Amino acid sequence: MSTEKKARPSAVQVLILVLFISYMLIPIIATYVFSVATRWDRTILPEGYSLKGYQIAAQNPYFFKTLQNSLVLSLASVVVSLLVVVPTVYWVHARVYAAKPLLDLLMILPFGIPGVVLALALVQVFNFQPIARSPFLLIAATVVFTMPFMYRSVSNNLAAIDITTLTEAAQSLGANTFNVLLRVIIPNIFTGILSGSLLVFATVFAEFTLARLIVGAGFKTFPMLLVEYTRIDGTIAAGLSVISFTIAWIVSLLILWVSSKSLDKSHEHLSAR
Amino acid sequence: MRTGEFTFNNYQGAVAPLYLRSFWNSIKLSGITAFLGTIIGLVVGYVIYRWPSARMRELLIALSDVTTNFAGAPLAFAFIIILGSNGLVTQFFLQYLNIKLYPNFSVYSISGLILAYLYFQLPLMVLLIIPAFGGLKKEWRESATNLGANTWRFWWNIGLPILTPSLIAGFVLLFANAFGAYATAYTLTGSKLSLVTLQIGFTITGEVLHEPGIGQAMAILSLVIMGVCIAIYQVATGRVRKWIRR
Repeated sequence: MSTEKKARPSAVQVLILVLFISYMLIPIIATYVFSVATRWDRTILPEGYSLKGYQIAAQNPYFFKTLQNSLVLSLASVVVSLLVVVPTVYWVHARVYAAKPLLDLLMILPFGIPGVVLALALVQVFNFQPIARSPFLLIAATVVFTMPFMYRSVSNNLAAIDITTLTEAAQSLGANTFNVLLRVIIPNIFTGILSGSLLVFATVFAEFTLARLIVGAGFKTFPMLLVEYTRIDGTIAAGLSVISFTIAWIVSLLILWVSSKSLDKSHEHLSAR
Repeated sequence: MRTGEFTFNNYQGAVAPLYLRSFWNSIKLSGITAFLGTIIGLVVGYVIYRWPSARMRELLIALSDVTTNFAGAPLAFAFIIILGSNGLVTQFFLQYLNIKLYPNFSVYSISGLILAYLYFQLPLMVLLIIPAFGGLKKEWRESATNLGANTWRFWWNIGLPILTPSLIAGFVLLFANAFGAYATAYTLTGSKLSLVTLQIGFTITGEVLHEPGIGQAMAILSLVIMGVCIAIYQVATGRVRKWIRR
């Protein structure tokens, strides 16, 4: 295959790739340009450029409020997810490995349950105060919804290290289970924890369905403000889209960087042997 | 509705014309975008897999990784910008190719939704199919060539049959992905198009007065559809693993 792969790509292959890249990039680039365009509905290129959309958006009192709400929601989801997933996955890997297939199967469920169905179920089951339609219920929902991301990252990382030896070594030096987890296991699976956290953060920050349907106007998030503006003012909506695209790009690049770092490390490790 | 009694009336309600139409629309939208996503994703994935430069391959896989998560409101609005009635692409077609996209096409209708959904379906399929090409051993290609098979014959008799489980797994995953989507459709169509997820959303927010039982019945029916997708996915990926183990 290696010699075959050096063959130059044909014109058809180049064309397919150019079309694919255009389809993926044109909507995003257009949004960035639109957010700084003065008028762009009669010509191919905008008639002028200004940052007015961003200025008006920032003057809206809801702008910082929704950014703050989304930030709080995302960070809270990451913290709760870590507290729930990391000890559970460690416990399953270390003590009850037989339960791993069950956990793997359970982690498919959030992918199979549409956000609207989860929202409907939670709103109807938890219909008592103070939980009903509260941000707390929303955090619980986003944690469930994003749990597979955290689970996969942590579980894959745990599978790659020798936890039995590490645990036994720590225990023989007098560490209790809590200390083993906190001071031995967690530092060793830090890349998994970090990339899982970044994935959960990015997903919850962009999440619209659960936020709108579970809490609604009482706890407005950034994507909810964006949807509102798509019906009021295009330039401002484009500005808000640019902000969420940019956050998504940054987090994705961070995840790629973290995982490439861990790959480098394992290569070094292998060559050192 | 009185409590304490079991009834199938809600399911009868859920198949009333409006709800039947939303199921039909959702299935049509998911089916079309999953089908197109699978076929185009297969071709694009193969071109990426065979691309000579490893750096470019990594870059394209990273691009697919990022863009497949770009669903929701920002994506929907990006499509309004390029394909709305005064959008960039709409203008380009009108001024340079003299093609009027509107009123036959509309970004706010099912045709617009198909293009917007393909935006996250296509890269998902690319990510799913690229590892499957690794299962095609180069020895098989060589043996087929030695026995006189041309490229088409190789793909028809060997390549595609081996890729079939991966393609089926990809198709059902894409179908489920589209069926459960809400934010993109809500931003683009509002309440103009009836889709299952939009209708269930309405029962929660109370924008449209439904019998609450009907929303629940629709939710359960969607779970059944998703469950079938997951079951097929599990069986198909089991077959993929078998091939890779050999």
